[in-house]
This record gives sequence, structure tokens and C-alpha cells, in this order.
Amino acid sequence: MLPISYWRNRKIYTRLLGSRCKKCGAEFFPPVKVCKKCGSREMEELEMPKTGVLVSFTKLTEPSYEFEEYVPLYLGFIRLDNGVQLVAPLADVVEEELKPGARVEATVRKWAEDGEEGIIFYGYKFRVVKQP
Amino acid sequence: MEGEDKEMSKVFVRSAGLIPVGEYWEKSIGELMYEAASKAIESAGDVKIDRIIVGNMFSGYGTHQEHLGALLASVLGMAGTEALKVEAACASGGMAVHEGYLSVKSGEYKNVLVVGVEKMKDIDTGHLTKALAMAESAEFTQAVGATFISLNALLMGAYMQRYNVPEDQLDYFPVIAHKNGATSPHAQFRRAVSLDDVKRSPPVAPPIRLLSSAPSGDGAAAVILSSEKGDVEMLASETATNELMLFQRDNPLEFKATKAAFAKAIKRAEITKDKIDFIEIHDAFPVVSALSLEAMGFSEEGKAGRDAESGKYNLDGELPIATFGGLKARGHPVGATGVYQVVEAFYQLTEKGGKNQVQGAKVGATQNVGGVDTTSVVHILRRVS
Ligand SMILES: [Zn+2]
Repeated sequence: MLPISYWRNRKIYTRLLGSRCKKCGAEFFPPVKVCKKCGSREMEELEMPKTGVLVSFTKLTEPSYEFEEYVPLYLGFIRLDNGVQLVAPLADVVEEELKPGARVEATVRKWAEDGEEGIIFYGYKFRVVKQP
Repeated sequence: MEGEDKEMSKVFVRSAGLIPVGEYWEKSIGELMYEAASKAIESAGDVKIDRIIVGNMFSGYGTHQEHLGALLASVLGMAGTEALKVEAACASGGMAVHEGYLSVKSGEYKNVLVVGVEKMKDIDTGHLTKALAMAESAEFTQAVGATFISLNALLMGAYMQRYNVPEDQLDYFPVIAHKNGATSPHAQFRRAVSLDDVKRSPPVAPPIRLLSSAPSGDGAAAVILSSEKGDVEMLASETATNELMLFQRDNPLEFKATKAAFAKAIKRAEITKDKIDFIEIHDAFPVVSALSLEAMGFSEEGKAGRDAESGKYNLDGELPIATFGGLKARGHPVGATGVYQVVEAFYQLTEKGGKNQVQGAKVGATQNVGGVDTTSVVHILRRVS
């Protein structure tokens, strides 16, 4: 990732900042300029709910060069409690707990480092909610 | 342009050429294009090319070479001819053919050379994986470490749950592709694989395995599209887009781009879909094959795997797919793939299929996607009797 790109999106990455349409109320992540439901351009910032369900998941062993030192990389297709969907890295993985339909919650973790001297990229990762 | 309106022309495939997909360590991207283009030019007879269009996804990132249109014109000794590159991720080749089709159709150009090329083997796996991920969002897909294969793996997991389909059933798609690839002279992998081979191959991003994932390779393919009557007419060339990001779609299991492009193509060609004798689909992953065939209405939702198992999509089945091995066995040099498909349709419709000939083929189609159905290009071609 380009450091400047990380800097531009830092709030989105750490707060799950999306957008809501002022006209029809549709919610989106990542933020959009134009509502995909009604076409309105009047959007406002909205933090996404931090919980949802795991729809599907995978374990990646051949990532792009930027993530080679972090394998295996677990990724999930997540549906948040407001219905918004996203792909996100999974944290604190116990493989047996990864099941379709599992409740997950967002945390902020390290994604990657920009080399030895560069900045550290932090952002959302999801983990399975522990049963009380 | 007022007073200069040209009459809309019919579009014919005048000639075609390709090189087998493989590893060309000793050849540059310019040489790959040169070889495929030369074959098409040599078999076209006396032809004056008035436009060159190159389809390619990541030559800049992968080989430090952009400006492929001018490069190809120079290599062919045709500097002066107008030329350009078209990019639409893995649909770059199909999109280049589409632009070539429109060029001839408009009446502005008589003979257009379309070349698809990709050189994937000049960079290491980590950078190649990055290049392919560029089909989706830099900021929200690549940033979180998601690769192109992992997106398809997540989609396949969602598909298996939604339709209660076992992995086994979807894995019939690579079996079909490899069976056809075994007798395909230009396939990267000319060997059959069994369902067991697929199941036992190592997982690369579960549920996707090594043998259920299209390989990487170098390749180039070319066609000359012409307004002059030839043996194969291009009845339709249509394209559409879906949301860039797979998971920003209401239903990621709906291939809306393919659905729309196919519906437009059928309408333009003035045929019904049962007239199609074979289709080169974008079989990069089994779930993409399934969702593509379902979007075009050849299989019911959730039933494409079952249809594959039943033999419907075999070379001698009701609707052959991947007739020369498809992306899985012929190979998937991404920006070239859409042109390979059209060359293969041309071979079928001119009875140059050899052992892979679809008997009595009169109408053929191709479907080439970029991203996960983010861009879809559909062509329908017909043998001129
Ligand atoms: Zn709206």
C-alpha cells in the first residue's frame, strides 16, 4: 500500500467509516459519492456497526508481496448487522471456530508494515465473538 | 460528423493467429505480440490494416512496457498506422475485440488488427498476485491483503452454502477443461485430470485448490476484423459492468454484468440462446464458470455443477464449453484470454478444431470477464454458409 493512500483513508480503516444516503437512508462501506440505491449525491458520514456474521472465509498462503511475512492470512466475507458486506482480515483465529454464520466483531490491528523503515498500517480486522 | 456518415458495416473475422500459452523466458512482450499478429496477417491474404488495438492488463507493472499499440505497430513495420491499448483487467482481450468490432461496424475502418497479450512470468509470484489484485479496489481490497484468488474463494464458499452444493460438484469444471486441453495443440496443460486429482491437489485458498484455479502463463492471440465478407461473421459484441467491488454488490452471487452483456448480445444477434452450439466461458475458477452459466440461463441457479457432472458441458454434450481447454487448461494470460476465446470460436466455425472440433458448429459464443464479473464481454459468431 502507498503510505499516502493509507494516510488518506486512516479514519475509514480504523473506525469503519462509511456513508449513509440522506435521501433514502441506504448505508455503504466503503463510503460512496453517489447512492447506489436512489442515485442521490447527498451522503453523510456514518460509522458502521462493529459486529456482524461471517458468511464465508479462506486461508491464504500466497498473498501479494506486501503480505508475504504474515502468512497464513485469514480473510472473511462479512455481513455487518446493518446488512453492509465487506471483505476483511480475521484476527485471533482458532480454525475450529471459523464457521459460516459465526458472530464476529471488529478490532483494530496491524495490517502490514511499509518495509523496515516505513510506517505501520493499522486497520480493521474481525474476530469471532467468544461465547460467554 | 455531419455529411460524413458512413454506412454501418457487417463485421467478419478475416483471419486469426495465436501462440501456445506457456513460459517464454527468451521472448519480450513485443515478440509475443509480433508472433501472434504475424500469423493472423499471413493468413489474411492481401490486407491493409488501418487500425491496431492491443488488449492487455498489466504490461506496465509486469514488464515496464506501456504504449503497446505504438510498440506493435513499430515491431510489425507498420509505424504510421493508428494504434492503441485497451485495458479492462482480465477482460482486456475481449474489450479489445469489442473496440475492433465497433471500429469496423462504424464504417470508419476496413481491417482492424486486434491482439491480446500478457506476460505473467517476468515477475515473481508475490508481484504477480499484486498485479492481478489490481482488478479490484487498491484501497479496500488490496489494502486488507485480499488477493484475486481469495475473493473467488470467499464467493465459492458463499455459493456452496447458498445452494447447498458440495465442492466436488463444482470441481467438474476443471475436469472438463483438462479433458479438452489434452488434445488442444495450443493448451498450456495438455493432460487430463480426474475429479480425484482436483480434490487431492493442494489448497491455495480453500475451497479453491491448485487444480481448480486457472494457471498463469505468457501468451498472445490475434484476429483481423474486416468489413470484407469472410467465413465467420461477428453477429454481436456486447459488454456491461457490475459494481467494481464484489462485496459492495447486494448479491455477490448474481453476475449482473454477464447477464446484461449476454442479453444484449442475443438481442443484437437476433437469435435465441438455444441456437448457440458452444461457448467459450471465462472458467478461471469453478464458481465463476457456475455463476456465468447461470447468469446466461444455461443452468438454473445453483445447478451448474450438477449440469457439469451430467456431461451437458462436455465436448460432445449439449453445450460444449472450454473447447480447447478454456482458461484452466489452455491457460489464462489474462489480457490475452478474450482474444484466445475469439480465435478458438473462429477455429470451431471454420472446422479447424481437429480433435477438439464441435461437430456441426454453426454459432458460437465467448464470455470474458474482468474482476469477478466486474466487466463482462460477450461475443456471438456465426459460420457464413
Ligand atoms: Zn439513496
